[in-house]
Amino acid sequence: MTAPVRARARVLEIRKAAGDTFWIEVDCPQIAAQARPGQFVMLGTGLSDVAAPFLPRPFSIGAREADGRLGFLLRVFGAGTRRLSALGPGEDLLVLGPLGRPFTLAADRSIVCLAGGVGLAPFLFVGAEAKRDARDVRLVYGERTADRVFDPELIRRITGVVPDLRTEDGSLGRRGLVIDDLALDDRPQLLACGPTPMLRACVDLATRHDLPLQVSVEEHMGCGVGTCQGCVVLSSEGEWIKSCTEGPVFDARELTW
Amino acid sequence: MVNLTQQLFGVTFQSPILLASGTCGYGEEYSTLIPLNEIGGLVTKAVSLEPRPGNPPHRVAETPGGMINAIGLQNVGLDRFRSEKLPWLRENLRSARVLINVVGHSAEDYEAVVSGLDSDDGFLGYEINVSCPNVKDGTLFGTDRQALAALVEGLRALTDRPLVVKLTPNVPDIGVYARICEDAGADGLSTINTFPGMLIDVEGRRPVIGNVSGGVSGPAILPMGVYLTWRAAAAVSIPVIGIGGIRSGSDALQYILAGASLVQIGTALFVDPSAPVQVQAGIADYMERHEVGRVADLVGALTIPGRE
Repeated sequence: MTAPVRARARVLEIRKAAGDTFWIEVDCPQIAAQARPGQFVMLGTGLSDVAAPFLPRPFSIGAREADGRLGFLLRVFGAGTRRLSALGPGEDLLVLGPLGRPFTLAADRSIVCLAGGVGLAPFLFVGAEAKRDARDVRLVYGERTADRVFDPELIRRITGVVPDLRTEDGSLGRRGLVIDDLALDDRPQLLACGPTPMLRACVDLATRHDLPLQVSVEEHMGCGVGTCQGCVVLSSEGEWIKSCTEGPVFDARELTW
Repeated sequence: MVNLTQQLFGVTFQSPILLASGTCGYGEEYSTLIPLNEIGGLVTKAVSLEPRPGNPPHRVAETPGGMINAIGLQNVGLDRFRSEKLPWLRENLRSARVLINVVGHSAEDYEAVVSGLDSDDGFLGYEINVSCPNVKDGTLFGTDRQALAALVEGLRALTDRPLVVKLTPNVPDIGVYARICEDAGADGLSTINTFPGMLIDVEGRRPVIGNVSGGVSGPAILPMGVYLTWRAAAAVSIPVIGIGGIRSGSDALQYILAGASLVQIGTALFVDPSAPVQVQAGIADYMERHEVGRVADLVGALTIPGRE
């Protein structure tokens, strides 16, 4: 593992990509150089202001460019994320990263990414890297409704992959869930990130088809580096383990569902 | 050149800045982000006799001006602390001082941890945690005068190392508890642990924190921490370590002027791991501006108009 870096990063661009959802790019070469798909950073504003977000928030690394840019998908959930979404180009963020365990891509299988909601974020990076390495990668992306769907053209531009879109109400893409009607005959490796009920459904799917599955989990986080033990998930052995340092990517069999 | 060192507990602290228990793990986790050997030292995550599993999530959440946590003292227990964590501290912390935070369900638990550690190398002394709001019996000893006196007396008999007691803010008069600790043989006090609190998700109509309630920390509690440190320091002649919401040199100086000989930084580490270095630089800058040579000269140097 490489050592995480604390860096001040300038916002280069922030654009709306769906309702209450933004794509933010920052200049952060020290972290970009080390980042691997599935890792995350803590994004915050620093000590000088106690307004939310006072505690930094974890964000999956959504893109990393050779020029030192990092990209993040940001959806507004509360006061903290709202304030981050209102940042403009030239403003500073405090970034800690790269953090956590990345995805491990199987060399001998195609890759199917199952993304629910903001769970899309890590797969933008996975998709781009897999595409660059000429891997067979599919990106199945679901939202509840069309207004929440992250701009498919932007997904294609970031990753080079055309997403297989699903909405629960059928207002955009195929009607249904990310696990519906998947072609799994080539016995792909499954990667999943999204709400817990969706992850459970992915675990069932992987078990039924006997396919390898890695999941990226999300929990409230304090430090991001393993000191506070705030972000625990239940291991298959029944122990609380830290999603920041032991995850956020786990083999599905490592966790209790 | 200002002198940030403090002579306490028979040793030199190279600065008054310590990292607070529960926020810096066992040191190693922050070792690439914080220059540990340039600060005063750290207090480890609590160590109990047996490993503890901790509380269900969510364990942390932001609150206005701070955070609430209910980790539940999850830790590896005495044996694994000695075999897996203490060696790193021994080998890597040359000039930073280490206090081991100790917790127990019973006096026997505390005594077993102190006895089990006392002949080891790699640390200076103990911070006895009688003030965790997030486990069933966490504040039992911190709020019961007889039990507190007996606990500290019992531990005093077991060790010659510095014995610091971390007090809860959740008592009517912290001075009473401070004096009990001093009379029972404690070498110092840490004031204060987190305040019990609760946060409710109104959309879901349920507590945000898995444990229902938790401990509140961060800048929001700074004035309470300063006040209780001032009260405790006035009640005893042993050194007091100030804790609660410190994120700048001026915050730390409030505690020092209130009577703290050292301070601890906790929640601010999560916001910015450079907090300890920034706070240290802020204190040095203040001392230069005010032409104070030694930080010790600022301890308790509060002037209250009309009470000079």
